[in-house]
Amino acid sequence: MRQQPLLRVVKRDRAGLPVQAAAYLTAILAAVLTGAVLLLIQGVDPLDFYGQMFTLAIPGSRYPWRMVENYIKLFVPLLIVSLALALAFKMRFWNIGGEGQFIIGALCASAAAMKLGEQLPQPVMLLVMSLCGLCGGGLYGVFAAGLKVKWGTNETLLTLMLNYLALYLLQFFAETKAPWNLFLDTASARPKFARFPDSAQMLLVPIGPFRLNLSLVAAGLLCAALFVYLKYAKGGYEIAVVGDSPSTARYAGMRVGRIVLRTIFLSAALIGLAGAFYVSTAGILSASVTNDVGWTGVVVAWLAKLNTLGIVATSALITVLQYGCQTASTSYPAIDANFANLLQGVILFLVLAADFFVRFRIVVRGRNGKEDSK
Amino acid sequence: MEERYAIEMRGICKNFGRVAANKNVSLNVKPGEILALLGENGSGKTTLMNMLSGIYKPDSGTILVNGQETVIHSPEDAKRLGIGMVHQHFKLVDVFSAADNIWLGDEHSGPLLKKNRCDVIRQMAQKFGFDIDPQKKVYNMAVSEKQTLEIIKVLYYGAKIIILDEPTAVLTVQEIDKLFAVLRRMKAEGHAIIIITHKLNEVLEISDRVAIMRRGESIGTVDTAQATEQLLTERMVGRKVTLNIDCPTVEKTRPLLEIRDLTIRNDEGATAIDHVSFYIRGGEILGVAGIAGCGQKELCEAIAGLRPIETGMMIHKGDNIVGLSPKAILEKGISMSFIPEDRLGMGLAPSLSITDNMLLKNYGETKGPFVDRKSGRAAAEQVIQELEIVTPSTETPVRRLSGGNVQKVLLGREIKSGPNVLITAYPVRGLDIHSSYAIYDILNRQKKDGVGILFVGEDLDVMMGLCDKILVLCHGKVMGVVHAHKTTKEELGLMMTGALDLSSKYADKPAGIARDSRIEEVEP
Amino acid sequence: MNGSSDVLTLFLFNIVLVNIPLLYGTVGEILTEKAGSLNLGVEGTMAVGAIFGYLAGCATDSLLTGLLTAFAAAGLCGGLFALLTVTLQANQNVTGLTITTFGLGLYFFVGKGLGERWPAMTDVPALVRGFTAVEVPVLSRLPVAGKALFSHNVLVYLGVLIAALAWWYLNYTKTGLRLRAVGENPAAADSVGVNIQLYKYVHLIAGSGIMGLGGFYMALNMSGSFEGSNCWINGYGWIAIALVIFANWNPLLAILGTLVFGFFNTLQIYAGALAGAFPGALGWLNALPPQMFKALPFLITAVVLIATSVRKREGPGQPASLGLNYFREER
Repeated sequence: MRQQPLLRVVKRDRAGLPVQAAAYLTAILAAVLTGAVLLLIQGVDPLDFYGQMFTLAIPGSRYPWRMVENYIKLFVPLLIVSLALALAFKMRFWNIGGEGQFIIGALCASAAAMKLGEQLPQPVMLLVMSLCGLCGGGLYGVFAAGLKVKWGTNETLLTLMLNYLALYLLQFFAETKAPWNLFLDTASARPKFARFPDSAQMLLVPIGPFRLNLSLVAAGLLCAALFVYLKYAKGGYEIAVVGDSPSTARYAGMRVGRIVLRTIFLSAALIGLAGAFYVSTAGILSASVTNDVGWTGVVVAWLAKLNTLGIVATSALITVLQYGCQTASTSYPAIDANFANLLQGVILFLVLAADFFVRFRIVVRGRNGKEDSK
Repeated sequence: MEERYAIEMRGICKNFGRVAANKNVSLNVKPGEILALLGENGSGKTTLMNMLSGIYKPDSGTILVNGQETVIHSPEDAKRLGIGMVHQHFKLVDVFSAADNIWLGDEHSGPLLKKNRCDVIRQMAQKFGFDIDPQKKVYNMAVSEKQTLEIIKVLYYGAKIIILDEPTAVLTVQEIDKLFAVLRRMKAEGHAIIIITHKLNEVLEISDRVAIMRRGESIGTVDTAQATEQLLTERMVGRKVTLNIDCPTVEKTRPLLEIRDLTIRNDEGATAIDHVSFYIRGGEILGVAGIAGCGQKELCEAIAGLRPIETGMMIHKGDNIVGLSPKAILEKGISMSFIPEDRLGMGLAPSLSITDNMLLKNYGETKGPFVDRKSGRAAAEQVIQELEIVTPSTETPVRRLSGGNVQKVLLGREIKSGPNVLITAYPVRGLDIHSSYAIYDILNRQKKDGVGILFVGEDLDVMMGLCDKILVLCHGKVMGVVHAHKTTKEELGLMMTGALDLSSKYADKPAGIARDSRIEEVEP
Repeated sequence: MNGSSDVLTLFLFNIVLVNIPLLYGTVGEILTEKAGSLNLGVEGTMAVGAIFGYLAGCATDSLLTGLLTAFAAAGLCGGLFALLTVTLQANQNVTGLTITTFGLGLYFFVGKGLGERWPAMTDVPALVRGFTAVEVPVLSRLPVAGKALFSHNVLVYLGVLIAALAWWYLNYTKTGLRLRAVGENPAAADSVGVNIQLYKYVHLIAGSGIMGLGGFYMALNMSGSFEGSNCWINGYGWIAIALVIFANWNPLLAILGTLVFGFFNTLQIYAGALAGAFPGALGWLNALPPQMFKALPFLITAVVLIATSVRKREGPGQPASLGLNYFREER
């Protein structure tokens, strides 16, 4: 006689909050431990390394405020991009074109900075740059969404391709010396990006020794706005319905295609805005402007379960990982910033695994055919 | 000596979430026997058979194959045990040729794809009396060809126990005859055959025994020789139980919704609704009876503007609503609620709260950019109170509620929107008596307010108690419109199975066309 | 032989030499996608295969060990992807991207960690020998094409062989047929007794392993010199994903596609030389921006992707269930 299998998998509604919290905390802890083992293998003291990493090496630093300022520079783009991607993912639209939309946004904003930077006062200039970033990124994203709505083009693969088109466009501007190329420094003989005029630099509000990057304030406001939008606005409500059940949305008289276009425009526009903020903060365009934020954003949004507050926390944590690793690795030549990627990968693998136990239930075959679940 | 069964199922139970699909079902079939499995859709036949084919696993109960107790973990196991199933929704790879679809599961001819595989398949098919082109791609095939391919596939794998889920629904009369000839030959060769169907004439023609299921339970088995259409119908739809459902008399208005000569295709492209005419007056409940799956869903979707129609007219208060968007139809006051078999598929967003689901159709009406959750919550509270919905709070996701409460949420919302035509399909599906009565009350209150109600139902007793008139559908055609209090269950049953056609009973008044029609008022 | 035909020959030779890793990556991804899984981790998987393959090859002074280790290490990445997406039902896009992040992280972690102990390829005769050109008898003496196509190291031939085998496997074996069914309609394959989980695991692991071989090739092509800032793979993994679409999920077309994509890839480096060698015919090459050549593979792929979606059907190579997880009891 053949028996019931010992274990089998059953879908469940969703585990309670304590189970979820326990599963995810265990996952993160296990990832950190794995990292510690790897560090030990390399002959690095994990306690010391982690100590520096998680404190961003602020204690004992001569310029602690600088550390925070640099942290914010990395944190803001990741936060905005993750929030924007979550918007698309909520609707089950797999926008992995964050890189491309970020670049196009940054390019548009830079173009505005170089063209109008001398004429406009700083606040107006920043506003214009933001608008350019929004429109550039948004239109780039809505191109893929339109094709998806009209013909069902696979948006994952298409946005992936668009990332590289944008990347090489950026490289083209970076490496082509020509009179029409307004991005380059005319004084330099070799192609080199020009610094923006002063009025196109991000506003920094001095608070004592610390200079508060205005884009952080903007990102904070954006967070609140998106939170409100998703939770209270009609648009957010429509996203929730379309994502949950497109057939119900149609039944309720919603125009699903239009909602998809609108939402993807918003998502991509915000990513473009992040690009604009970033170049304005840096004060100069660069060929590696994205810092992989389009990729990392996908991971952050997913880790945070597309929850706005969760994304704030997760992107803050991932930035700690990345920036902390960068600073900590200065004292350890064997380790570099890529250790953060490694750790980030392990965390996600373990969280995805933990996710399984939240979404599914393992049923164990008990004696006399009865089943116990746990 | 005890007879050896090819298949014996004992005490099978299967639940999907909180819905019990099979409750303590037992069934057996002998080699060289054709067993018909009879029951309405949703009575658990397919679920039961899927446990034989390895798609589902029973929660409890035992399965014996050739007298051996067995656990069927997967379709692979089923195949090894000689069980083959022809699914109602074809399991075919569209981009493959017919031959390759069969070759997929072949286990005898070595690891390579032989050049002559098409010939092998063609010869095999001819041997069984089928005519297919093995090189034809599935996406180029007509529905009946796909069906044939599925049957050949099972035969090719050498199944000894063959299950056919509604095999005749898509075949022509000639094809059905051919199929039955094949089944008889296989029976003679000692195969055990289970055929799921609800066409009584076919049951009587082909089967040796009939097992009947109702609402997930087995009702019993009868020898076909002793069965009649009346007996089977009665068993299938249940004995008459005295229900005390109110049917208030209300002054009727002129027709609110008139359907004339409507034809609709289903997703597979077959005709689902075939030249149907009917009308609903304000203050009446028109029941739609019919074996499940014979066009009810398509009809509801078409009226709600969710499915294009082939031909015909749909007139609401003298206005043509054909081609209007779902939103425009909603705004006219036509509300549709459909409880599908999984109960959540259409009409509700399962992950959203009761409040949010209340707002689904009218969130856009308030001014300003925000969703008016306050009114939604008030509506939710009111509906929860009036319909006695059991829920922890108004913010509980709908998927967490039990089936009856989900249905009350849906119906409650539809009624709150103050419709003048209410289309409701299976509103009491799976509900206990108490909840069902609550829903009948709601409908009757609407009726008293002058709303025209189309009630697509399953339980004939309920329909005879609740409705004013009953329209009977059989495979998309109107079999007649009868007075709910003057008809009998037997008459309805015979009409549902196509044995009785009253559609042209009165020569002067064709069924489904109102004397005081407003259709003439419509501009052509 | 004059100088200009030398340039042409060298250009054609390099199209093959430099771009064969694309073929490995593409064939690996085709096997993966034919099983219905979209693995966006090609770049990371290749990096993992590259570094471990190279290190093992150096440690044992053997090309074969290098190859096997590359296959195994990358195969582990594939196994991880399968574990997460098949058994644990995780989202494929997110998992794939994480494989890339993780793989690149691991690559630099190991490379940096070795520091001074990093082995130089010149000290490993077996690898140097393994990467030396082997002339195909007779054919290699053909003018231009002889040097360009038939005078390569064994790994080039191996790559073409694997692609041809994969094509044969997919179209002429029963397991290949079943694999395609798994990617098209897992429920149909399941109903006739194909073990979906097994098929996915095997082909995801094998596919990733083949990507790893491509990574190993790149390591040798870079003469095994580790740079702290740039990974050997250098975006080839992403091009491979594009190439899968361009090749319409057909390994034989992937060979052709590798040459087409490789042509643009190499043209970008040789544009100046070619323009110099043939100023009359190819002088205009100098006027074109090199980034255009880099972008072209992606542009062409995007166009192909859009065009096929507009036309729908008509023998598409894209598996219908690509990117969707399968859970049998789903209703």
